[in-house]
Amino acid sequence: MVLRILVPLILCLTALLPAADTREQFEMQVRPLLAKNCFACHQQSAMGGLRLDSRETILKGGKSGPAAVAGEPEKSLLIGAVSHTLERLKMPPSGKLSADDVAILSAWIKGGLYWPADDKAAKAAAAGEYVISPEQRAFWSFQPVKAPVPPAVKNTAWPKTEIDKFVLARLEREGLHPIAAADRRTLLRRATLDLTGLPPTPEEADAFLRDKAPDAFAKVVDRLLASPRYGERWGRYWLDVARYSDDSLNSTKDEPYPNSFRYRNWVINAFNEDMPYDTFVKAQLAGDEMGDKYAAGTGFYSLSPEFQDDRVDATSRGFLGLTVACATCHNHKFDPIPTKDFYSLQGVFSSTDLNELPLASKEVVDSWTAKKKLVDHQEKLIEKFYENQRDQLADILASRTAQYLLATRNLASAAELDAESLQRMTAYLSEAKKDHPYLKPWVALVESKASEEEFRRAAAEFQKLLLAVMEEKKEVDHKNELTLGLNPNRDDVAGASLVSLSRDKYILWRDMFERSVKDSAGFFKTSEGIFHYNKNGIERFLQGHWKSYLETQKVDLERLKKELPEKYPFLQTIKDKDKPEDVHIAIRGDANNKGDLAPRRFLAILSPGERKPFSKGSGRMELAEAIADPKNPLTARVFVNRVWQRHFGRGIVGTPSNFGQLGERPTHPELLDYLADTFVKNGWSIKKLHREMMLSATYQLSPAGDTVNENKDAPNTLLWRYNRRRLDAEALRDSVLFVSGKLQTKVEDLAKPLDEKNTARTVYGFVSRRRLDGTLALFDFPNPNSTSEGRIITNVPLQRLYWMNSKFIEEQAQALAERLHGDNAARIREAYRLLLARDPDAEELKMGLEYVPKASWASYARALLSSNEFEFVD
Amino acid sequence: MNRRQLLSTMGGGFGMLGLQSLLGAEGATADPLAPKTPHFPAKAKRVVYLFLNGGPSQVDTFDPKPALTKYHGKPMPTANLQTERKTGNLMKSPFEFRRYGKSGIEVSEIFPKLGSMIDECCVIRSMYTERPNHEPSLLLLNSGDKLPGRPSMGSWVTYGLGTMNRNLPGYVVLCPGLPVIGPQLWSSMFLPAVHQGTYISLEEKDPKKLIRNIRNETQTPQQQRAELDLLASLNRHQLARTGTDSQMEASIHSAEIAYRMQTEAPEAFDITKEPQKVRDRYGDHDFGRGCLMARRLLERGVRMVQVYFGNFQPWDNHDDIELHRPLAAQADGSIASLLQDLKASGMLEETVVIIGGEFGRTPAVEIGGLVKVQNGRDHNNHGFSYLVAGGGFKGGITYGSTDDFGFQAVENKVHIHDLHATVLHQLGLDHTKLTYFYSGRNYRLTDVAGEVVKDIIA
Repeated sequence: MVLRILVPLILCLTALLPAADTREQFEMQVRPLLAKNCFACHQQSAMGGLRLDSRETILKGGKSGPAAVAGEPEKSLLIGAVSHTLERLKMPPSGKLSADDVAILSAWIKGGLYWPADDKAAKAAAAGEYVISPEQRAFWSFQPVKAPVPPAVKNTAWPKTEIDKFVLARLEREGLHPIAAADRRTLLRRATLDLTGLPPTPEEADAFLRDKAPDAFAKVVDRLLASPRYGERWGRYWLDVARYSDDSLNSTKDEPYPNSFRYRNWVINAFNEDMPYDTFVKAQLAGDEMGDKYAAGTGFYSLSPEFQDDRVDATSRGFLGLTVACATCHNHKFDPIPTKDFYSLQGVFSSTDLNELPLASKEVVDSWTAKKKLVDHQEKLIEKFYENQRDQLADILASRTAQYLLATRNLASAAELDAESLQRMTAYLSEAKKDHPYLKPWVALVESKASEEEFRRAAAEFQKLLLAVMEEKKEVDHKNELTLGLNPNRDDVAGASLVSLSRDKYILWRDMFERSVKDSAGFFKTSEGIFHYNKNGIERFLQGHWKSYLETQKVDLERLKKELPEKYPFLQTIKDKDKPEDVHIAIRGDANNKGDLAPRRFLAILSPGERKPFSKGSGRMELAEAIADPKNPLTARVFVNRVWQRHFGRGIVGTPSNFGQLGERPTHPELLDYLADTFVKNGWSIKKLHREMMLSATYQLSPAGDTVNENKDAPNTLLWRYNRRRLDAEALRDSVLFVSGKLQTKVEDLAKPLDEKNTARTVYGFVSRRRLDGTLALFDFPNPNSTSEGRIITNVPLQRLYWMNSKFIEEQAQALAERLHGDNAARIREAYRLLLARDPDAEELKMGLEYVPKASWASYARALLSSNEFEFVD
Repeated sequence: MNRRQLLSTMGGGFGMLGLQSLLGAEGATADPLAPKTPHFPAKAKRVVYLFLNGGPSQVDTFDPKPALTKYHGKPMPTANLQTERKTGNLMKSPFEFRRYGKSGIEVSEIFPKLGSMIDECCVIRSMYTERPNHEPSLLLLNSGDKLPGRPSMGSWVTYGLGTMNRNLPGYVVLCPGLPVIGPQLWSSMFLPAVHQGTYISLEEKDPKKLIRNIRNETQTPQQQRAELDLLASLNRHQLARTGTDSQMEASIHSAEIAYRMQTEAPEAFDITKEPQKVRDRYGDHDFGRGCLMARRLLERGVRMVQVYFGNFQPWDNHDDIELHRPLAAQADGSIASLLQDLKASGMLEETVVIIGGEFGRTPAVEIGGLVKVQNGRDHNNHGFSYLVAGGGFKGGITYGSTDDFGFQAVENKVHIHDLHATVLHQLGLDHTKLTYFYSGRNYRLTDVAGEVVKDIIA
């Protein structure tokens, strides 16, 4: 106990001793302490409005007031905060500073907060400028891509390609070794699933196993890359990044946009035809300026969710592996991205509008638009007619209210009244509870068995009252209309001082003239006012010219609708606004708190030399060119890493959409550069990139275990074996359909729900932001509301229920069973060859032969479809 | 394949041996719902959140304001803060307040049954948030952020604690129809998809149709058992060849759980298994059925259940605050019955029951917005009431207060971040440590704020 108090005291004393060199003490003790504990939030990011990187800004302070008072540590918020003695201000959030650290800061404040006068960073800080430090510039991912020479390796026999030399050199350095290569069947199944998302056919397996040529596997890779199935697989991976969806979160119907598929198919096609990646990138940002072939690419933005930071987020993480949206409210806390840069990019996108680009001739478009206008006009006309009739009918019926009341007592002739209205009135009067008092006198008369005279008087009074309430309601509506003016928007309405009937009068009016939701004993039910009629009801009252007029108008509407063809196809694209504009920084992300104007331009950290503001329109094309520039250190690295991740189960950088400080460092930095450099030199060809990766010995490793390696690198970060994986949602569903013989391999347009009837490839199914398909969600399909960098693979019981009980699997198992021919052993063999591209072993054959006679072929087929070997790729 | 490998897989020992090796693969996780140890010993094991969507008015339910009656029809003497629409003069509550229970806490006459359980409830009268509109407020209350994109509270809870019954979903959301903005409110967003709330429409009355694929239409249980036995043999045979692999072992394990789920899950959702008397007590309406179903799920180990009061936003009474009466007539018995039953079974001690909506309502009458009758109240995020019962929360107390008219929280203010932090705390979770790394940073339910409200927990 005594010791614990003594130690800080001694330290405290040491700190208080006059320093031999104030500057040295500042640099050795104070600055490192601030840097380590405070700068992450209180340097460039200025959280709480406070910067702690200059004397001036410390004395000025932030939202809570000055951080320090020179010479008076006990009055300084900074000391209270870091020692956690203040109630509402405890910093740093990770825990209070040690007593000796607090003592150092106290002594420094007591001594007057010495700060070197020649500190350039501090001067800039005081001036509020954003300065990228040399350390930040030196970060690995901002360095130009180099062209590394593959390293020397000891085991010269193993490498097949340059990739292998990089991998092997690292393994050798760590005392690891690559294990054996996968057998040829496994390799074929792996490559086929990888590139097409479907298993190999038995014929393809036979052909490959027979082909003894040294380039047999290379031929397989080329065949697969040439298959249209390839784009359907790899296009889908890009759609993860592009957060592609066929609808929006705010949509109210379970229907896809009629033209969203054009972007999806454009992406699939771009992969199939090996569109150079730089062009692919540019087309998505500014394809509308690149000609017909590329305009559909802007679906990346035109189909985006309408969140305020989404476009900057998807652009920066998707193409650059940078989390620029982290700088929405404050400067990025870890990467050199000032808030201003976020708003520079935001300005580009806010200078852009959604645009429908017709895929039809001008005549077709004009003719459709004209016809649509006629239909709309006619619909409005009819609607208006009903409205007018409804109001007039209410007036007419209400003018005889007294008669209706009396008729319920047989004191007036029912024959002269409308039977339905009378029936309603009778029912209403018999209801126990009314929410207004105006019929109380009438009810009292009924109960006291009053005279006819009294009933007549009460009826007349009620009618008078009702007509007055009607009149008042019209006045109220009129006054509100005057207050609001024509076409008020939502804010006008919300902010206006409006008037209304009193509650009692309103309830009366509602019960007579409105269709409304009423409470009846705790349950809410829709009810029709006594004198309120819907369209059918109104028609009942129409006669003569009125009736024939409505009928004519309706016939005309039907004709016009018939003449209106289906809407012409169009691309959902974007275009520059007529007047592109820079946007203001929203301080702390609050749009009402405007800061400086942020000129539209590229990110500071990726702009060598002086940055020029974008000058062409919104600046999208300039932004596209800056991203797709071969000198951009991120674009190629990020993309080759994405491809690597899908082939090897893990990226060289383990966080494919974050190449910043908080992302992972590359496991093989030189390999990453080699791949990026080669990729650009190969004309940004994605197919060549696949080939390069797949022909490596590294790709062809077995997934088997190895005790020595596992002890040193159990997660297989260094790639001594292949990473076994469960297939993703699309590959699972497509593979099942493929082996059951039901898969339609046709290119689909409009997205359809992924129900039992749908046998198209999963990539063509309806992807909904509002309500994601249950099966996709069950098998870890990414949420299309934001850009996704990879699939998380889960293994949960609800997934097994799908295999056990779903109608889809039931039907596919049945179909697969029907494909099998011959005796029992032959059928079992055929099933194995279809599903796994191999023959069953003796044990497996025996299991099947024993099971089938007791069960059914469909059941056996489902067991095989549900088996791990079918669902995983080795 | 050596003998030792064979034994280790055939013996059914789903050991941790392979776990490490699969971590290298693309974010693979075998069973993210496996029960987890909390950060510190927990007071509560489960949560039920009864969401009165639309925004119930505090001054007509749990926050009596005599001054409001006194100044009825007069302009508010203090500054009128920004709400969604224009408001006029002060409007008294049409309802009387009465003292209930030993604590004598005042509750509106429209909640007599809940009033009788008030000694179990902590009445927080000083809740507040930053937004007066439904969408951002619903998101704030459910996910801790006013913008879309964050995981819901239930997702965080199952992420932090896993589930107690693998035969049922860990997080269930019950709603007649859909509340405003719907599925976003129970989305797992960037957390693994298994933490997504399982939405059950209360309009579906057949318990067997409530969970997808829960029953097999063509096989007898014996036939299905035999097929699953074959599947297990095939899988084990393969494992013997490949060596241990925790993902593939997890899949074998999952199949067994799924088999058992088929009988347990429909039973859990089937409220017809309850005596008629009990069903009457909860009320034969959507919310009553929801509360009763919630109780059955909680009894069976579901970690978090959320029951929305109704389709869209029933409590949004801009026009006529009188409509709170019939709404409360439904909610009152259902909430009280749930509290009574949990109390009787002893489960209340370990169950946090949260009752409230997305905000409160203004003490002044609404005059903006095209309301049909000016007898209602606008949204009010500056001050509103929440009830929390069980799970170590102090019962029979009120905490915090609003100003004289019930407009703005003034004393012991509780932000939704604070309430989230406190609920997590009772579950044994430190809200600053329950984080998930995504898009370059660690996220948490309480964003960068939230303090555990120590005064309301025992």
